[in-house]
Amino acid sequence: MISLHDINKTYFGAQPLHVLKGINLEIADGEMVSIMGASGSGKSTLLNILGLLDNYDSGDYYLDGKLMKDLTENTAAEYRNKMIGFIFQSFNLIPYKTAIENVALPLYYQGVSRKKRNQLALEYLERFGLKEWADHYPNELSGGQKQRVSMARALVTQPKVILADEPTGALDSKTSAEVIQILREVNQTGITMVIVTHERGIAMRTDKIIHLKDGIIEEVETNNPDLIDLNTQIK
Amino acid sequence: MDFWREILISLRRNKLRTILTGFSISWGIFILIVLLAAGNGLINGVSYNFESRLQNVYTLYSLETSLPYKGHKASRYIYFNDKDIRTLENGFPHIDKVSPMAIYNETAIKDDKSKMVSLEGVRPIYSQIEDVRMVRGRFINEHDEACSEKVIVIDEDLAKSFYDNADNAMGQFLMISGIGFKIVGVWKDESNICYVPFSTLKKIHNVTQYYRLTFTTYGLDTKVDNEQFKEYLKRKMAQLHEFSPNDPQGIWISSTMLNAIETNRIMHTLELFIWIIGIAMLISGIVGVSNIMRITVKERTNEIGIRKALGAKSRSILASIVTESMVITTLFGYIGMMAGILLTEIANNILNSKMDDNAMTIFANFTVDVRIVVMATLLLVVCGVLAGFFPARKAVRVKPIEAMNYR
Repeated sequence: MISLHDINKTYFGAQPLHVLKGINLEIADGEMVSIMGASGSGKSTLLNILGLLDNYDSGDYYLDGKLMKDLTENTAAEYRNKMIGFIFQSFNLIPYKTAIENVALPLYYQGVSRKKRNQLALEYLERFGLKEWADHYPNELSGGQKQRVSMARALVTQPKVILADEPTGALDSKTSAEVIQILREVNQTGITMVIVTHERGIAMRTDKIIHLKDGIIEEVETNNPDLIDLNTQIK
Repeated sequence: MDFWREILISLRRNKLRTILTGFSISWGIFILIVLLAAGNGLINGVSYNFESRLQNVYTLYSLETSLPYKGHKASRYIYFNDKDIRTLENGFPHIDKVSPMAIYNETAIKDDKSKMVSLEGVRPIYSQIEDVRMVRGRFINEHDEACSEKVIVIDEDLAKSFYDNADNAMGQFLMISGIGFKIVGVWKDESNICYVPFSTLKKIHNVTQYYRLTFTTYGLDTKVDNEQFKEYLKRKMAQLHEFSPNDPQGIWISSTMLNAIETNRIMHTLELFIWIIGIAMLISGIVGVSNIMRITVKERTNEIGIRKALGAKSRSILASIVTESMVITTLFGYIGMMAGILLTEIANNILNSKMDDNAMTIFANFTVDVRIVVMATLLLVVCGVLAGFFPARKAVRVKPIEAMNYR
């Protein structure tokens, strides 16, 4: 599903910062992978490149067999809309829109009719147990509920890949466990998933842990998440 | 349809932002209209008070000649006659309307009361030349003049002493030298000057020569123009009446030219001043609106980032922001415009109902040129939209990840 060949990325500021120094990575279809690393290791940059939110300087990035290189803004927007779902640490819900409107937003940009949009959005909210909260604004929801809304929003377009940037970073351990459990269930429906986290407990519940250090992949650790007791503390 | 729904939701859910932006626009337009209206009111008020000074009026007085000429001796009186009137009226350059004047001192009688009056035969234009202000009724009109009607405009003093007040005087017949004149108007004066149609007086007294001719002019805007005109007029008169064109006497020409030029200059300065203030107001309005738009877009940077991450194209975000600002500015611009016009109308009503004939007014008739108002509103709308457009374009160009992390 995801294939990276020698990806390099440098930020040109007052002092040029070589953030990614030749990343090679294969993520298979339906795999659930976590990326770990200290802050500054380049894990967020890598996720942004995977999510077509940022471009890279050299190398090749294939997503679902297509080369994602030198994309125009519009093409990138289209790919993001159709193939990728995002989950963010700070949820990134639009504050003046209700839960259902937030979930329906990606469909709006696909040109789906309003009726169909709302029907689908409600379906996904229901799936995450938020049907009764559909007409609430984000500031009326708890952290866990907000993250579930953003998961519903990420999934409503039925993307190929879910990219999650510290999805549990703003949540307590109990809610974190719920969220990772939901992510696993989503993954089991066949959606590839990449999670950036600095929490080992979260990473342990993925198939593969990629350790990033100073812009290179230091180690790829293979897990068997099914062996891990779901009740063990993750924080 | 969906697009407009999104815009509406965004405007409705961000009430404070919408109202603040809208208010600044409405307020700007409102103040501009009120200011322009007050300025125009001031100009109208001033021109009402100085109406007589606004026109360039010439008066010819007859005098004795001081030089012998073509067999005529000196010290000959030059009188104006009907031929002079026709000459001035028919195609004489720069002359608009002519009113000859004949004056007779007569005695007006009512029952046992009598009063000396100065009976002046004039044409309708005279009311503008001499700024005759009516208290009741009307001045001599063209019909009176054409048909030599026996009508009279009396002054307030005569009306009071003969009929107690101006209202009672209206429609009464005033006896002067055995002739009954119907009172059609009372004018604001106490000098016992009464006006009758020139043609009527001419018939009664069989007048053929006059001491005074008055006329209004056009197109004499500078001192030089006026001096040349005077020169030409004098030569023409000298030719008609056979006196030396070099005679300093014969006729005497006076004009209100300097007054008129001065008053016009004051008016133009006033107008310019109002324009400058208006434009300054408009600029401050534009700056205010632009600032709000700029801040609004900055505030929405996060939202822009989120929308981009979800697959929105830059163009679609830009379109919705620009449309939003267009909707706000147009709607509230219209509200401000209507409120401003409403206020000027109300002010006009109050002013008209309270306006006393005797009072000197500073303001009269608040008016705004609707075209100017619409132009100003459109300008503000366009500037508001542009002020939203440029920062929005900048914001949508930012990488979504940076936009999302913006605070």
